[in-house]
Amino acid sequence: MARKTAYKAAWLGGLLLVPQMALVLTFFYWPAGAALFWAFTLERPWGGGNDFAGFDNFLSVFNDSAYWEAVIRSFVFAFSATALAMLGALVLALFCDRQLRFFRVVRTGLIWPYAVAAPAAAVAFRFVFAPEAGIFATIVKQHPDWWNPAQNGLHAMLMIIVAYSWKYLAYNFIFFIAGLQAIPRSLIEAAAMDGAGPLLRMRTLQIPLLAPTFFFLLVINLTDSFVDSFGIIDITTGGGPSKATTLMVYKIYFDGFRGLDYSGAAAQSIVLMLLIMVLTFVQFRYIERKVHYT
Amino acid sequence: MIERTPILNAATHAILICGILVALVPMWLVFVAATLTLPEINTPPISIIPGTHLIENLTEAWVRTGMGSKLLNSLIMAVAVAAGKIIFSSITAFGIVFFRFPGRMLMFWMIFITLMLPLEVRIVPTYAVASNALSPLQAIFDVTGISWLYQQVAGAELDMQWNLLNTHTGLILPLVATATGTFLYRQFFMTIPDELFEASRMDGAGPMRFFVQILMPLSRTNMIALFTIMFLYAWNQYLWPILVTTDREHFGTAVMALRLLIPAVGDSTGGAVPDWNIAMAGCLIVITPPLVVVAALQRFFIRGLIASDK
Amino acid sequence: MKMRMMATAAALLLAGSISAQAADKTKIEFWHGLSGDLGDAVGEVCSRFNASQDKYEVSCVSQGSYDAALQNTIAAYRAKKAPTVVQVFDAGTLDMMLSDAFVPAHQLMEKNGYKIDWSKYISSISDYYANSKGELYSFPFNSSSALLYWNKDMFAKIGVTEAPKTWEEVGEDAKKMKAAGIDCAAAINDDTWALMEQFDAIHGISTATLDNGYGGLSTEMKINQTKFVDYMIFLKTNLDAGLFKLKVPQNGATIVQAFAAGDCAMMMDSVADHGVVGRTQKAGMNWGTAMLPVFAGTKRLNSLVGGASLWTLKGHTEAEYAAAAAFLNFIGQPTSEEFWSTRTGYIPVTKTGFKYLTDKGFYKDPKYAGREVAIASLTASEVNPHFSRGNRLGGFVQIRKEIRDAMNTIYASDAPAKAADPAAATRTLVQAELDKAVERSNAILRRYEKTYAGRDLP
Repeated sequence: MARKTAYKAAWLGGLLLVPQMALVLTFFYWPAGAALFWAFTLERPWGGGNDFAGFDNFLSVFNDSAYWEAVIRSFVFAFSATALAMLGALVLALFCDRQLRFFRVVRTGLIWPYAVAAPAAAVAFRFVFAPEAGIFATIVKQHPDWWNPAQNGLHAMLMIIVAYSWKYLAYNFIFFIAGLQAIPRSLIEAAAMDGAGPLLRMRTLQIPLLAPTFFFLLVINLTDSFVDSFGIIDITTGGGPSKATTLMVYKIYFDGFRGLDYSGAAAQSIVLMLLIMVLTFVQFRYIERKVHYT
Repeated sequence: MIERTPILNAATHAILICGILVALVPMWLVFVAATLTLPEINTPPISIIPGTHLIENLTEAWVRTGMGSKLLNSLIMAVAVAAGKIIFSSITAFGIVFFRFPGRMLMFWMIFITLMLPLEVRIVPTYAVASNALSPLQAIFDVTGISWLYQQVAGAELDMQWNLLNTHTGLILPLVATATGTFLYRQFFMTIPDELFEASRMDGAGPMRFFVQILMPLSRTNMIALFTIMFLYAWNQYLWPILVTTDREHFGTAVMALRLLIPAVGDSTGGAVPDWNIAMAGCLIVITPPLVVVAALQRFFIRGLIASDK
Repeated sequence: MKMRMMATAAALLLAGSISAQAADKTKIEFWHGLSGDLGDAVGEVCSRFNASQDKYEVSCVSQGSYDAALQNTIAAYRAKKAPTVVQVFDAGTLDMMLSDAFVPAHQLMEKNGYKIDWSKYISSISDYYANSKGELYSFPFNSSSALLYWNKDMFAKIGVTEAPKTWEEVGEDAKKMKAAGIDCAAAINDDTWALMEQFDAIHGISTATLDNGYGGLSTEMKINQTKFVDYMIFLKTNLDAGLFKLKVPQNGATIVQAFAAGDCAMMMDSVADHGVVGRTQKAGMNWGTAMLPVFAGTKRLNSLVGGASLWTLKGHTEAEYAAAAAFLNFIGQPTSEEFWSTRTGYIPVTKTGFKYLTDKGFYKDPKYAGREVAIASLTASEVNPHFSRGNRLGGFVQIRKEIRDAMNTIYASDAPAKAADPAAATRTLVQAELDKAVERSNAILRRYEKTYAGRDLP
């Protein structure tokens, strides 16, 4: 993943990294270090205590069946949401890039959801999906059991996946469309001259050239879908019904900051972080190899 | 490019119309709800045609939340985070991609890992740091004996304080300390052809000139995209501003103000019913500035590279 | 000494210029968890206090929710930036008591020269916030209890003119309503406070061993072995029969909305929502409140207080404590209680306040009539030390969540509907879910015990 050519002035390179490293050390590693400390002790919310607990916190996390259920749910959520948001955005971007009539209006409209704050979006989705009011109410009146996220765990999960993907669809769309526009028009015109139709050009030219963007988005989407679902869940389902939408990050928040079990939550954070690191590492190791940068 | 593909064109339109419906219907509902009266909302089925009470709902939401100063705070925070992020991450990515020095990859990973532990999860210790941003440095000095040395030399105890609570800096800095931008710039710098790099070196341009005169203009698209993304990210922050500002009159942000309109569902008692029409009018006020930013900036960041190519 | 000098200086300044007056006020912060209209009401309490004198100024900050108020206060306390006064909800009481982070209410008032007659507090309210010696640690503020709300018009349709007193009657009435074409006899939700904690208290049964946790941190949950199991079966059976309806925010309407809209004939809910029902009710609807029903043959005990109390935190100056004491004293005055009870649905927490309101004819006003039932319910018996003092449970927020999850699973399950013997299947289902909730809750209690190893309850 390194470039073939580079400057040799090591001191300057190091110097360039100082500002961001200072920020990251202060606002990330220091607090994360505190969390790590809590994971191995029994931290009382108001301070004090701190008896060394060894791996007790981790053991009690791993012995909790509810935790493993949350892990499985997180994977289901992350992969479905990533697939939905990325493939949807890719298709829309490819077609939008054809620049037919109205495409500018469509483009703006498709980007807008990303601009909506999570609390506002979540409230809107609660409205859309509520079985007793909003759009779905009309359908539910005819077929009462057809949709009820307040009681049916599967429905609730679908609801948060859709609500979450709605925002990320727009995010991915922005990057895909920017990536597509970066492809030299001359290249596409040349392909057209050779008789390649729009669909063929998408498959053989545009999609391969989008690979770096695709990889960037894959990493960001997967990580974010593990960690960024909090706002949506908190407002639409609150982790329910009966834990059906309690993902790992929501459980951490709930146990730690509502349940005041700082140490248990810290241990869960460490596990979550390791998990995402492994995932990311795998992506860099096996997927980035297939990406051609220049 | 003129091609005759009527079937494909029809399919394209169909796909795009579906996309636009999915994207806009929820927002349309927010808008409609903001134009109705409370009883109109509470009696299903909800109308999908706007009512006539938009202005009074907006006014009510504005007055209840004291929106004016909050919008200004949000603007300050969002612009500063976006600008800070661009500066920090472009410089960092430049250092990582175009230089060879020991520990380079370690540092990249150290920055990259910050993507993986969201603020929500480490919020209590982060808050402690925000109350005195120099406390990590102080602790390091205490442990390494520098504090002791200082006391011997200066005769006073070394006590460094930098409170970020209830300041704009406190709203901004912790949000800048993440890796999204660095990663994006890295991805972009990796696609810069080696020839370009060699050519600039041949011309005798030093690293900083290469960075400022070649890379920065080239990355204009990225920059505007990142600015937009980070502006939205900061504008839409919810949990952190609630925590770090208790002086809401001076430092409250617009999204936080939504809380004043949508009461939390209480655990036992205290669960109040929101006035949905006012809450939705508040939503409308809060989401409008980001929408405007997106609408205004997207032309630049999407078309940026085409212009230079044609 | 330093304080006195500052006070003298302040006095001099005061005499010197009127414009400097504002600057000399002692300012303190008060964080609370109420938002929306209730949040505004707290703001008005603070303005009233600030207007009532010119020495102190309280600035009230809403943290949005009870949870956030507690979390943010903890974060601020750890960073040594905590507010002087903070509102903490009932489930956080034990955490506060073990925190070592507060100045007990009785000490604060004594030190600042206020003579408070502590016996003026309604004992089922004050007991919850007091240590084992009966000394108050925090000030009861927004207090409530749970009631049965009933729609008189709908009951009239089945020829009933009084609220049901037993669950058996509720069941009979529900059937009659169904026959009379009323779709929803009762709106129910998953609130453990109104459904479980109150039920256990008034029926005189244990929620947990060791006097519901008052006896020590080694307490264990008991809700899978008591009459509460029958109550859950009762709710589930009526739900499956289509007599009761589940109304939670996630499916678009709360029980309050369903009741106020005239959709459902009954609900079990906090008196705090009395005002909300009044404001949002269907025009012309006749409704009333009554004490929560009991199973036939039960000797009723007092119901439990809910809501939140005000704590004073450590780490502030004497002047700030003086301000806090003045503020808390102000809140306990009958006129303040009158304002608070008029503006919100919360009840007065002192006998004097209640008497003051009664004497003024407050409860005769049709807008407020029915709220006195909450006081009657809270004082239905002497506080029973084993059952009706409330719950002193560690990790109470998580435990409530486990029980709520169990309730929701029970409500949603279609196992009884599919079974050959629905009654037996319902019992199996309820027992299994409550067993699971108890097992999980006990794990939470053990974790809490370990975290606070070596600590005794005050």
